[in-house]
Amino acid sequence: MKVENSSVADQSVIKSLGWLGFGGTCNTARVDSKDGRIVRIRPLHYDERYTSEELNEWCIEKDGKQFKAGMKSLLPPLSLAYKTRTYSPNRVPYPLIRSDWDPNGKRNPQNRGKSKYRRISWDQATDIIASEIKRIHDAYGPFSVYCQGEGHGEAKNYNGAHGCQTVMLFEAGGCTVQARQPDSWEGWYWGAKHMWGMEPVGVNGQCTNVIPDITKNGDAVLFWGCDPETTPWGWGGLQPSRICYWFNEVGIKSIFICPDVNYAAAVHADRWVPVLPNTDAALQLGIAHVWLTEGSYDKDYLETHAIGFDWFESYVLGGIDGVVKTPSWAAEKCGIPSYRIKALARYWASHNVSIAHCNGGGYIRSAFSHEPARLEVALLAMQAIGHPGRHQFRFIEWNVFGEPPVPPSESYTTMANAYNGFNFNLGDSFITKTKLHHAILDKRADWWGCTLCMAPRQDQFVPHQYPLTPQTHPIHMIWSDTPCFSTCWNGGFLYEDAMRDESIEFILVQHPWMENDTLFADIILPIATLLECYDLGNENMNGQYGMIYIEDAACEPVGEATGDHQAVCEIARKLERYGGVYQGLLERYTGGMGQEEKLRYGYEHSGAPHDLSYDQLREQGFWASPIKQGWETDPAGMINFYEDPESFPLQSPTGKIEFYSTTLAEKFPEDKIRAPYPQWIEETDEHHERIGTDRAREYPFLLVSNHPRWRVHAEHDDMPWTREIKTCKVVGPDGYAYEPVWIHPSDARQYGIVSGDVVKLFNERGTVLGGAYVTERIMPGALYQDHGARVDFIRSGFGGLDRGGANNLIAPDNTTSPNVAGEVTNGFLVGLDKADVFALAEQHPQQFSRPYDPAVGLIAQAYIEGDE
Amino acid sequence: MTKVFLFDFNRCNGCHNCQIACKDEHCEQDWSPYAAAQPLTGQFWCKVNEYERGQVPWTRVAYEPVLCGHCAEAPCMDAAALAGRPEAVYRRQDGLVIIDPQAAHGLVGLAESCPVSAIYYNSERDLPQKCTGCAHLLDAGWTEPRCTDACPTEALRFVDEDDARLGDAEVLEALEDHAPKLYYLNRPKRFIAGTLVDIAADEVVIGAKVELLDQSGNVVLVTESDELGDFRFDQVDKAVHTVRALGKDFVADVSACDLSLGDIDIAA
Repeated sequence: MKVENSSVADQSVIKSLGWLGFGGTCNTARVDSKDGRIVRIRPLHYDERYTSEELNEWCIEKDGKQFKAGMKSLLPPLSLAYKTRTYSPNRVPYPLIRSDWDPNGKRNPQNRGKSKYRRISWDQATDIIASEIKRIHDAYGPFSVYCQGEGHGEAKNYNGAHGCQTVMLFEAGGCTVQARQPDSWEGWYWGAKHMWGMEPVGVNGQCTNVIPDITKNGDAVLFWGCDPETTPWGWGGLQPSRICYWFNEVGIKSIFICPDVNYAAAVHADRWVPVLPNTDAALQLGIAHVWLTEGSYDKDYLETHAIGFDWFESYVLGGIDGVVKTPSWAAEKCGIPSYRIKALARYWASHNVSIAHCNGGGYIRSAFSHEPARLEVALLAMQAIGHPGRHQFRFIEWNVFGEPPVPPSESYTTMANAYNGFNFNLGDSFITKTKLHHAILDKRADWWGCTLCMAPRQDQFVPHQYPLTPQTHPIHMIWSDTPCFSTCWNGGFLYEDAMRDESIEFILVQHPWMENDTLFADIILPIATLLECYDLGNENMNGQYGMIYIEDAACEPVGEATGDHQAVCEIARKLERYGGVYQGLLERYTGGMGQEEKLRYGYEHSGAPHDLSYDQLREQGFWASPIKQGWETDPAGMINFYEDPESFPLQSPTGKIEFYSTTLAEKFPEDKIRAPYPQWIEETDEHHERIGTDRAREYPFLLVSNHPRWRVHAEHDDMPWTREIKTCKVVGPDGYAYEPVWIHPSDARQYGIVSGDVVKLFNERGTVLGGAYVTERIMPGALYQDHGARVDFIRSGFGGLDRGGANNLIAPDNTTSPNVAGEVTNGFLVGLDKADVFALAEQHPQQFSRPYDPAVGLIAQAYIEGDE
Repeated sequence: MTKVFLFDFNRCNGCHNCQIACKDEHCEQDWSPYAAAQPLTGQFWCKVNEYERGQVPWTRVAYEPVLCGHCAEAPCMDAAALAGRPEAVYRRQDGLVIIDPQAAHGLVGLAESCPVSAIYYNSERDLPQKCTGCAHLLDAGWTEPRCTDACPTEALRFVDEDDARLGDAEVLEALEDHAPKLYYLNRPKRFIAGTLVDIAADEVVIGAKVELLDQSGNVVLVTESDELGDFRFDQVDKAVHTVRALGKDFVADVSACDLSLGDIDIAA
């Protein structure tokens, strides 16, 4: 759209600046440009086009107060500052080849992560890539090409960053796909689903009218490991913040149960109950004990709505293992005094209490995460979930998984037909992501379930292995558009070893930035950010209105960047030269549709109004759906199940809440860790991560590593304006901006640490550095460092040392439990010590002298030959 | 109608959108004659201060944006006049105070004149710089500046000078004599919180009367411990107080900071 007043902008486009991926977007913004350069990113005001009446803006009322949907988009700072990401000096400027990787000679896999890169042309790069794919196909077969392409990245549709290479390679004989497990909600998926279904996430998806109902009938909300002022930023925006203020305003008690004063607790908590990381299961059992011994739970409800309660009752009262799970027993494990556990239990039993999540916080991604997830469902059931004012709901991913808890729009649109990324087709050969390092290093792996986040409960009973058959060759090439394993998944340092394994002959990364696993690639292709791309966008997750809009490019591509899909098309074009299975590949891959045609086709099948043409949409900027008429009378939450469980059964095998899971008992009779009923697991052969274990003598702290406040996972770490914020980075004595480590003053004193010191977090898997942030926002005995910091390795590989503070590098590589391929990236043990950065710099002069811009961190030139 | 900035401490979640939107508008972007470009980092025409309050388990955070007050009695205008360059700072008809990016060249004293340090000296350009109220956008038809536009919770607003809410608002202490157009609602004072516990019985104490006494021994606030045994006094003056519960007195010195009294054993 042209802007009339060219003094402040000469072009304005609408963009979705969220980070969901997978054909759906959010965080709708107006992006203004001037003279070809982006000048500002700002909220979209819906009254540009609609009145509040036309949109039937929802309004929730209590005691003369009103809470309305709002008439502008509610952007996070990560969206507002996003042009700095587009113009970052850390962009991949042009195609690059690793200087000591010779496809016709020595490949030097051992030097990945160490050697630098030199510039090549797109033509040269795609020639080499096509010839390598052809060579690997001929020598080993198609399953030896491994595709790492999924949801961590920008939200683009036509230019989908996520897995578009899989779609192309399936047209050329197949590939081995990385199956991304439900990393954001492991415990719900692997545990809670076996109690109550709630496909596909395992957390309650029946959330219609939950916020209006809590307003009317609720007394309190337990924010259990939940930070609505952080986690939803990448997947919906700041309506959760406004909901929290509404609860504060109308006297809904906000109780935060978490080890840290997270950003929501900092401004909304009426009560903070500090609990040691991943000990929630003990607290939950202590609460259950109070209710059981005092009779303060809903026995009638359990009679009609649940099965197997006697197993759970017996376990809590010590009938199975001889241990009575009293509040005193729980207190020792979770760090909450027994009198407070009792008071909390009694408060809960005598009020209408709901539990809120932003997917689950630390306890849903720690060792044995299926247990606290199941125990939460158990507690909710004991207090008759579905009763007015008693719910479980999420502040995130509304309309993606389950109904939004605020009044919905009449209709929502889908981008599925304009989307070119991963289509959730795993093909025959795949590896679950959490076992990738082991699969590469051991040349074999086995696990249960395809592990895709959308897979139903029954899928968890299907065994899989790699390689597909004993005759199938292992993987020899990795093609990634999601190069962030080492700072986002389990056992990151071990992953770096896998990237240097001799068997991996070629690693191709296509990515906008020179960051994290990009530095292990042999060839790097420069990819455009979404601000540079022409696309179709929509909005379903904002808790306001469903929308659709055409996303024109806000600026020209930076450097030699191109869209992800176009990059894959270029490779397909080169492969066609080899004929055979590659003949007509591009046509088959694209369905013969160019960009304009595909976007128009996608729009026509998006669910937008039939009488609004693509060209009219472009003319009017955006289309928004009004709020559903009569939303007020829709049944709230799980009220139907509450009132009539026979007519409204759950998705569990019996349709009821299964305290004793009939299928787990049948399928995994030997599993003592994920037993048929939920329990406390102290430790196992795979995980010694409790403060009571021997390891804790050397590594005495439990680490909280939340979804980051100033990033979305690995993204945004180079944004100069967030890096200036006190809680984003701590500048050390060497001028380097370190990832903060929150330390309670009492713990800091013991180590002689003060704010601003550089500290080491370590265990036998390696060491990461951080900037000490001494604070009352973390309980004693726990440390806090956000996950996803940009890797800056001093020594890579198992036992390595990282300057960036990417603590996934030292997270356990073993999965949740033996039959559960979830990640364990939170609540693990670390040691703490002061670091002498000047001594380290003397030991590692090369690593400490990489070109560094204090505003943004490491820059691309640090890794490019002759360009320093 | 002249507009003013109104900030409500009770509505700020610390997202820093105001600070970042300001930077998005002004860093490395020249809006002359309203303002020259701000450096990419290090200067904050809208700066969010962050204050940690209390101790485990009663820890909170307060956020406070500070920007130019566009004072009616602006010390920076006086400083410019004193330096013999009155044209370096001027007040528009809408009340916004603007540093002229040409005329103010080299006037280091302007940055020093601001009582709340809202003027930054750009040494690369040799220029004092500050918030313009996004006058370039207002003149292009915008109804509010970037900072308030980006605020998702209506914590920071750009309101008419006769807005009724201003009656309860305060200005920054350092600007009290300068009639600023920057107002604050619900500025936190101190809180005192704790939990009454009978350790021997392993129970919290519910429904006990808790009194707050000032230094003269006058009861200033009364509450009752709630169902979790908790009590909390908000908006307490910065002084030494006494908390009285179940016949016992506890010193509560909040002159320097908020206070968690933790779990108080009433039998001890």
